[in-house]
Amino acid sequence: MLWLQLRNELWKLFGKKRTYIGFLMFLLAQNLVVLIFRFSNAARGMKNTLEGNGYLPDEFISSLTIATIMLFPIAYMMLPLYVSLVGGDLVAKEAEDGTLRMILSRPISRIRLLMVKWLAGVVFSVASVLALGVFGVAFASIWFPWGGLFAFIPGELFSVFNATDGLSHYTGAHLLMAYKATTVMTLAFMFSCFNVKPAAATILALSFVFLNFILMNIPFFKDIQYWFLTYHLNLWQFMLAQPIPVTRIWESVSILTGFNLTFLLVGCTVFQLRDIKS
Amino acid sequence: MIELKGVRKVFGKRPAVERMNLSVPKGEIFGMLGHNGAGKSTCIGMMLGQVWPTEGEVIVCGHDVTRYRQRALEKVGAIFEAPIFYDYLSGWRNLEILSHYTAPTSAARLREVIDWVGLTGREQAAVKTYSHGMRTRLALAQALLPNPELLILDEPSDGLDPEGIHEMRHTIVRLQKELGLTILLSSHLLNEVEQLCTRIAVMQKGVKVFEGSLNDVRGEQTWVRLKTSEPEKARVQLREARLIAEERESDLFALAENAEPHQLVEFLVKRGFQVHEMTVHQATLEDFYLSLVKASAGKN
Repeated sequence: MLWLQLRNELWKLFGKKRTYIGFLMFLLAQNLVVLIFRFSNAARGMKNTLEGNGYLPDEFISSLTIATIMLFPIAYMMLPLYVSLVGGDLVAKEAEDGTLRMILSRPISRIRLLMVKWLAGVVFSVASVLALGVFGVAFASIWFPWGGLFAFIPGELFSVFNATDGLSHYTGAHLLMAYKATTVMTLAFMFSCFNVKPAAATILALSFVFLNFILMNIPFFKDIQYWFLTYHLNLWQFMLAQPIPVTRIWESVSILTGFNLTFLLVGCTVFQLRDIKS
Repeated sequence: MIELKGVRKVFGKRPAVERMNLSVPKGEIFGMLGHNGAGKSTCIGMMLGQVWPTEGEVIVCGHDVTRYRQRALEKVGAIFEAPIFYDYLSGWRNLEILSHYTAPTSAARLREVIDWVGLTGREQAAVKTYSHGMRTRLALAQALLPNPELLILDEPSDGLDPEGIHEMRHTIVRLQKELGLTILLSSHLLNEVEQLCTRIAVMQKGVKVFEGSLNDVRGEQTWVRLKTSEPEKARVQLREARLIAEERESDLFALAENAEPHQLVEFLVKRGFQVHEMTVHQATLEDFYLSLVKASAGKN
């Protein structure tokens, strides 16, 4: 029965054109980044850094490296936008359209309905990250050869892997990114359970994320930055570190789990108590 | 099938339903009447566990909806004023989705219900291609899928053309006769309620102002249409003589208690009025409803 209900939610979700906006934008953004790297001097700085550290650039300016480079802006900016768009729609859009009233004339508990909808949101979040990872490598492979992975964030990250290890780290980063996507989706889902328009739920979720990011970067809050959601959302990039900071990842996973449970609890409580009217 | 006991609902500081007691017996077509904002939809929302009552008890199919919502709604189907579906999916897919919130439903049962409502051949088309009438039929199909014993219809004829309204009326009668359903019908259409329902409740500003059978409605007052040489003077004198209780349209009068139609004619003729016409007027639900509204407005 749960499977049937989840399948139905997925039909509803993936039957809508707007669900695919995120996938489409990922395709466009990834192809744009690949073409910029292929037909401009954008890779020169990376080559210099590699050469300066004693590595052969030709081994590491690869499809895996380009796919990883394009991952950063997309994961920071676009992924939260599209998962919160879907998360914000899950309940509020049905309430706005009036289909929620039809559903709630059925003998299904509100909590079960929410859980089924949330699971559909999780499937979407995982699918988005999967698409991001697979499309990234696929498009980069058209213009760049297969090779090692070079990940570099000035002052934070400098890692060089051979192709096999690089692929493992790239895959691991996507696994954790799926958790980030799920968390942002759950945040939007929580707001969606309130009596608000779907757009408002999305905007509230994104505002919460941006506010966390801004506060976290104010020097005054530096000592307590680990209390902010955004400090833990980017745990995926630690999978690209050498060596992987396992304790730090577990810490973030635990705290994000706490955030997710809190968002779900608040959402369920609000939804359980509210009146559903036409 | 439905019982509301001392139900009250307040939205913020605004009371939507006050001191509501209602009983819908099994096998009846029960009408709920009232102006927009009278509290009908709030009552229906409470019956379906969509709106939580502030006070009181709502019992559907023997179960308290607030505490045992799932059990109470197991044998309930509902249709709302504007039949809204997932437009981008087919009618068949919509029915599958909605029926699975109750229990797994076989394809044979889906086909049976689609056939009953007359949508066979169009079930695989996207709902966005459906006319309003077809959507209403689809709404009926989703309500019938769980084999309900109770059907709650919240203004089902809203937005339908005259042909559609006639079809809906015919369908409601079929539902009761062929399937033996208890039906709660909330409607603005007084003639629809009059033709279909055996009992009615009238709501006004969140308060139930009447509950009874249609026979009670018709038998409550005798109305006569009286045309005289001096209508205004005749009206004043009939009032003073306490022969009429109420008047409408200048020549339509409700007889006072114990007054008979012929007494009015005798009274007027004796006082020199020429009586051109006197007909007993069968009170319609509309007359009754309007008199209730007027009386209620008078109190306020």
